[in-house]
Amino acid sequence: MGGKSEPAKSESMATKPDLLNTSFFSFKSLKLKTKQQELLLRISILGLVYILAFIARLFSVLRYESMIHEFDPYFNYRTTLFLTEKGFYEFWNWFDSESWYPLGRIIGGTLYPGLMVTAALIYWTLRFLRFFVHIREVCVLTAPFFASNTTLVAYFFGKELWDTGAGLVAAVLIAICPGYISRSVAGSYDNEAVAIFALLLTFYLFVKAVNTGSLAWALASAFGYFYMVSAWGGYVFIINLVPLYVLVLLITGRYSMRLYIAYNCMYILGMLLAMQIRFVGFQHVQSGEHMGAMGVFLLMQVFYFLDWVKYQLNDTKLFQTFLRITVTSAILVGGVAVGVGTASGYISPWTGRFYSLLDPTYAKDHIPIIASVSEHQPTAWSSFMFDYHILLFLFPAGLYFCFKRLTDATIFIVMYGLTSLYFAGVMVRLILVATPAVCLISAIAVSATIKNLTSLLRTKQKVSQTGSTKGAGSSKASSKVTLDQSQPFQKNGAIALLVGVFYLLSRYAIHCTWVTAEAYSSPSIVLAARGAHGNRIIFDDYREAYYWLRQNTATDAKIMSWWDYGYQITAMGNRTVIVDNNTWNNTHIATVGRAMSSYEDDAYDIMRSLDVNYVLVVFGGVTGYSSDDINKFLWMVRIGGGVFPVIKEPDYLVNGEFRVDKGASPKMLNCLMYKLCYYRFGELTTEYGKPPGYDRARGVEIGNKDIKLEHLEEAYTTSNWIVRIYRVKPPTNRL
Amino acid sequence: ASFSDSDSDSDLLNELVSLRSTSESGVIHLDDHGISKFLTSASTPRPYSLLVFFDATQLHSKNELRLQELRREFGIVSASFLANNNGSEGTKLFFCEIEFSKSQSSFQLFGVNALPHIRLVSPSISNLRDESGQMDQSDYSRLAESMAEFVEQRTKLKVGPIQRPPLLSKPQIGIIVALIVIATPFIIKRVLKGETILHDTRLWLSGAIFIYFFSVAGTMHNIIRKMPMFLQDRNDPNKLVFFYQGSGMQLGAEGFAVGFLYTVVGLLLAFVTNVLVRVKNITAQRLIMLLALFISFWAVKKVVYLDNWKTGYGIHPYWPSSWR
Repeated sequence: MGGKSEPAKSESMATKPDLLNTSFFSFKSLKLKTKQQELLLRISILGLVYILAFIARLFSVLRYESMIHEFDPYFNYRTTLFLTEKGFYEFWNWFDSESWYPLGRIIGGTLYPGLMVTAALIYWTLRFLRFFVHIREVCVLTAPFFASNTTLVAYFFGKELWDTGAGLVAAVLIAICPGYISRSVAGSYDNEAVAIFALLLTFYLFVKAVNTGSLAWALASAFGYFYMVSAWGGYVFIINLVPLYVLVLLITGRYSMRLYIAYNCMYILGMLLAMQIRFVGFQHVQSGEHMGAMGVFLLMQVFYFLDWVKYQLNDTKLFQTFLRITVTSAILVGGVAVGVGTASGYISPWTGRFYSLLDPTYAKDHIPIIASVSEHQPTAWSSFMFDYHILLFLFPAGLYFCFKRLTDATIFIVMYGLTSLYFAGVMVRLILVATPAVCLISAIAVSATIKNLTSLLRTKQKVSQTGSTKGAGSSKASSKVTLDQSQPFQKNGAIALLVGVFYLLSRYAIHCTWVTAEAYSSPSIVLAARGAHGNRIIFDDYREAYYWLRQNTATDAKIMSWWDYGYQITAMGNRTVIVDNNTWNNTHIATVGRAMSSYEDDAYDIMRSLDVNYVLVVFGGVTGYSSDDINKFLWMVRIGGGVFPVIKEPDYLVNGEFRVDKGASPKMLNCLMYKLCYYRFGELTTEYGKPPGYDRARGVEIGNKDIKLEHLEEAYTTSNWIVRIYRVKPPTNRL
Repeated sequence: ASFSDSDSDSDLLNELVSLRSTSESGVIHLDDHGISKFLTSASTPRPYSLLVFFDATQLHSKNELRLQELRREFGIVSASFLANNNGSEGTKLFFCEIEFSKSQSSFQLFGVNALPHIRLVSPSISNLRDESGQMDQSDYSRLAESMAEFVEQRTKLKVGPIQRPPLLSKPQIGIIVALIVIATPFIIKRVLKGETILHDTRLWLSGAIFIYFFSVAGTMHNIIRKMPMFLQDRNDPNKLVFFYQGSGMQLGAEGFAVGFLYTVVGLLLAFVTNVLVRVKNITAQRLIMLLALFISFWAVKKVVYLDNWKTGYGIHPYWPSSWR
């Protein structure tokens, strides 16, 4: 409730510095000077935005409860718990035998520790200050806290790019932008929560370093980069964007000593620091993704050297020859080095994820495990509209403003905006990375527009002809109309436009609040639905199942499920799993996929070989929950078939169509997944007026109602049938 | 009898080898006569297997059959097989094609009535209608690689690594590299002087706008999912569907339409602030301004409406409960 009126309020506040002279402030007694008034206003606006960014993300806590969301956050929570209980060194050397049975996983070497260390530090600080909170509360609120901090960074970044007005608007926009909120509501305790803060901070510090040429800022940006590397694999974006930016500056003849200092310091120190993260390690100097940065670093030295020689030679002709020889040989040497490095295996080629960004069709054809994740799907235009709303209209305007006033800083933000927007088009989840840039560029458009309009209002013009023809009816759209120095508008027109701007911004605030409240605050581990009378029904089956596992199974029991639920089972059920969301071993996942898509006999052999005691499936046929295992089943077949060719996708399809009713393929009707999901389902009437065994998620009557299990037995089914657990029977005695 | 058998066998083999050598990729073009000579009249077990590609020139225009693409891949498998098997192994399998218009009776003989169709005729098969050697759709879904797997599985022969012709031949690559190396110093010189097309901000600006348009129109989505520009209405084939309801998907045309609306608003702004202010005639200025305002108003309204329709969300403000 608190978040509702707040956005609109700070929205309008953001522009008040420009309205100062209209005697808005009348604290005559305080006698603040104009500068002081402005400072006071600015700080209070920032304070409000800071609070707004935090409380807007608390919808999830209000609507459900203070809990960790989704899948990956449960792993992060589990490791954070371990870190706070056992200390940093234990955490760093942790070998986790509870996942990836029988392989296990070296946690310290295969994760980005930034998030856990941050949360643990906050926890320890709070305890030191005698606030005895539970670590879960800290984890739940880490993301909103860092979102608040991001608004501050956005303010400073906007100030650096344009002016304080743009900074304030950027802070407001990013505070409630759905593209960012989607990954940072309370409870989504994921790497991105701190990573976007780190990303923006690194960029800000780097731009500051380029603008000032100061070693201190460059050093700071190196540390920002270190924090980013420690927090998220997306750091690869920084280490490619920054060199690209430097390259563009070099090409467009903007090479300067400031740039030289900023980049060299940031690259060398950042690289050394990044290599301290075990998961990154020597990749930073060996993998193909990082080679661009190194190449630009070397190019930078060539540039500096040439500059020096030019200064020494004083003879243009001689210099031209020298230039030609140096550049040619430098390129040749570089090319040979890369060739030899790649051929000898010293430089590893690009990883699949990176490659799929550049050639988007790559993942679909070659790596089903990447293509199967829903957040890796390409973005349709409606997702852009949903996550950015009016920012999309303002973006080209902001681009235009940036091009009109090209500086080193605006070139950076334009490049950041365009590259990230392209990547956002390739994968839905990368909208998150583009959000800060879109907010900043749009903020420039808004701020410049409002500034022009208000300054027009303040100057007392005598020209009386007013553009009364521009009726207020079209004022909504007019927000995008910005004024140059020589405005064709008169006062009335300016007022109308201003009203339009505020109208549009308030629409943005409404949109963001609604989206946050309705779309982005569900924890996905607790499901909500509307009942017949409009009341909210909560399905808490996941936790029910995981607590059942925790209470009723042997402590060394091994649970087999599809990899989506691995983290949750280990974190909440405290039992060993075969595969989990850290998809590092494709073969292992394919083995599980194979077991799920085989007949029960074959599957039993596989499960015996993996020592599986329980099998867990997620089933939405009773509740109509659509992201269950049957709907994910084709991916299991694809991933399984990618490693074991005995599994063939066409066997499960009928004329290329995936069906579960009577027309389904015989293999489908008898595979393990089908049997486990629909066991005893044929006896159940799910909907009035429909035959028993009517699957509400797919809207069909199932094809195989007479399911007999031979090697498994039902152990537990949750109240809404969402999670079903089966016990694997031990082998019968041999005679 | 066995002597004469092996004699005629080796004759047939020699003939096949010589036929193969005349074709570039090693695919033998057979007609009805060839089929009867090498398959029907040759006594089983034949000393060779034939992998037959059924082609029909008249169907090449139907892109969804992918006949030409498959035929090209077939040729690549054949050439790779030849290149990797020089000795006696190389004479155990021959790649052939028959064309529908010239050898209709062979199509009947094989009982083929749907394309694409690729059939392996093993040495022992005497009834050509036996469809056990047919290549499934999944066997050529990954083109040459999966075809080769099929061949290796069925014949126990080794095809070896697929050798695709390089995109550019070696001399071409050499020339391009040489050109780049020669041109680099000149380009760098011009870059240093600052007089290339790269220094034109207008070019950069239009490039930037294009990338923006490209992204927000969901073009990557269309490319990756291979979405058509529009669909035909199921109920009424004459009606075309341009807009798809459902948030995760989009059609080609709708993305471009919406992206165009976004961009128009942005470009109108640039026009109004940069060009229009220089127009001397006040009336013209006002008229154009009015038009620009109207168009952007309409565009914003349209996009918001479309988005609400597509996602099915009714976005509304929250009011304090006491106001209700």
